[in-house]
Amino acid sequence: MKIKFKIWRQEGPEDKGAIKEYTVNDLTEEMSFLEALDHLNEQLVLKNEEVIAFEHDCREGICGQCGVFINGRAHGPINNITTCQLHMRSFNDGDTIFVEPWRAKSFPVIKDLIVDRSAFDRIIEHGAFISTNTGSAPEANALPIPKAVAESAMDAASCIGCGACVATCKNSSAALFTSAKINHLNNLPQGKAEEHKRVEEMTAQMDIEGFGSCTFTGACEVECPENISIVNIAEMHARLMKAKILG
Amino acid sequence: MHLKFIRKLILALSGLFLCLFLIVHLSANCLLIFPEATARVLYNTYSTTLRESTFIKVISYFLYASIILHVWYALLTTISNRKSKPQKYVVNRTNENSTWSSQNMGLIGILILLFIVVHLANFWARIKLGLGEEVLLDKHGNKDVYEVTYSLFQNFYFVIFYSLLAFPLGLHLHHGLKSAFKTLGFYHKKGLELLAKVSLIYALIISVGFGLIPIIVYFK
Ligand code: HEM
Ligand code: FES
Repeated sequence: MKIKFKIWRQEGPEDKGAIKEYTVNDLTEEMSFLEALDHLNEQLVLKNEEVIAFEHDCREGICGQCGVFINGRAHGPINNITTCQLHMRSFNDGDTIFVEPWRAKSFPVIKDLIVDRSAFDRIIEHGAFISTNTGSAPEANALPIPKAVAESAMDAASCIGCGACVATCKNSSAALFTSAKINHLNNLPQGKAEEHKRVEEMTAQMDIEGFGSCTFTGACEVECPENISIVNIAEMHARLMKAKILG
Repeated sequence: MHLKFIRKLILALSGLFLCLFLIVHLSANCLLIFPEATARVLYNTYSTTLRESTFIKVISYFLYASIILHVWYALLTTISNRKSKPQKYVVNRTNENSTWSSQNMGLIGILILLFIVVHLANFWARIKLGLGEEVLLDKHGNKDVYEVTYSLFQNFYFVIFYSLLAFPLGLHLHHGLKSAFKTLGFYHKKGLELLAKVSLIYALIISVGFGLIPIIVYFK
């Protein structure tokens, strides 16, 4: 298939950047979207041009490295998948595809389609862990956890930190990401001891990093590859108020 | 600390108070669609009772405060949220993942603000502040608020203005009502699904109600 790519090119953080056009003729429907970009890059190498920088690692939807804005949607036109899970069969021969990096004040562009997501790491550093030395793994049945609790914690824990929620949110809010990390631990007995500190510090860090406040457009949960529900954000609000009141 | 969240709490609480107020306001306005003589007595009695009640006086201060706080914190939230996304996408298909109203609450809010200003000038300024044309008394000695309303809606342009601006109000409420509950930490999944339906019905009743009454009065 023949595709006209319109891709954001930016030399570095200080460069202004612009959309550049590339036409690729020999793509197939079976190719993944990232393979199509690889293919384009191979052609650029042959022409002695600078390749397009984009992030990827596992290419199977588990690492959260990949992630670009494709034709006006985070991770492309299909709901709830990563960029690496998108295939060229989702497009038609002759299509024009816009590819842009995540846009957010807190995710500055490093180069082309790669953004700096270390703001997420700093939110994690403010409490998305349990700060006790647990020694070796305990006996599995020593700490019974009801199935419903285990499942809701697991649902939240499945967040891979790709940043699609921030990218698609008109406010660049990190509320979906942060709430998933908070609720994952605060729901479990292991996380209880530090629950108030965790929610207070992680949400405060979210503001310090410059993310906006959630206005519940709901775009994040449509783009989230892990189907993290927006209800997590409401739960985070409840936990934050509880923490403020109980101290 | 948590300034952005506190702003949203104020936005949600003031918004919900305004939502409650709208129910009372619309119910009272329904009196206007009775036949002329009945409507005049009922509406003027109602309006006089409100004006003379101390309880309502307190509520009215809450109402002024709510409007001012809501607009002010909406402005702050919108400005700070825009700053969080300094560079926009060349192509952004928000319509595929969210509703138009959820993406444009600020714009819709400005339309409602325009409405509120004109509305207060038409009624509140004349009746409460005594500005503009004097409000006469009806035969029971009550201020003839019915006449103020009736005469305003004999003007075609005001009917259009009032009825058209009921649309943005509906859009604002449809998103705002359910959003406010989530801001306030209501996270029961089934409850939120029900709330989404309630928000839609509420928004429809309020906007269709406020939108139709001027038209009905015009044709009386
Ligand atoms: C009758 C009048 C109004 C009612 C009943 C109302 C109600 C609400 C409610 C319930 C919310 C949700 C709060 C939340 O998400 O936590 C809201 C949000 C909001 N309102 Fe209003 N509002 C009214 C008038 C206005 C006016 C006059 C403005 C602006 C000048 C405005 C601007 C906003 C904005 C910008 C939001 C933002 C949140 C977002 O982006 O989701 N509203 N409103
Ligand atoms: S490359 Fe790992 S999730 Fe896409």
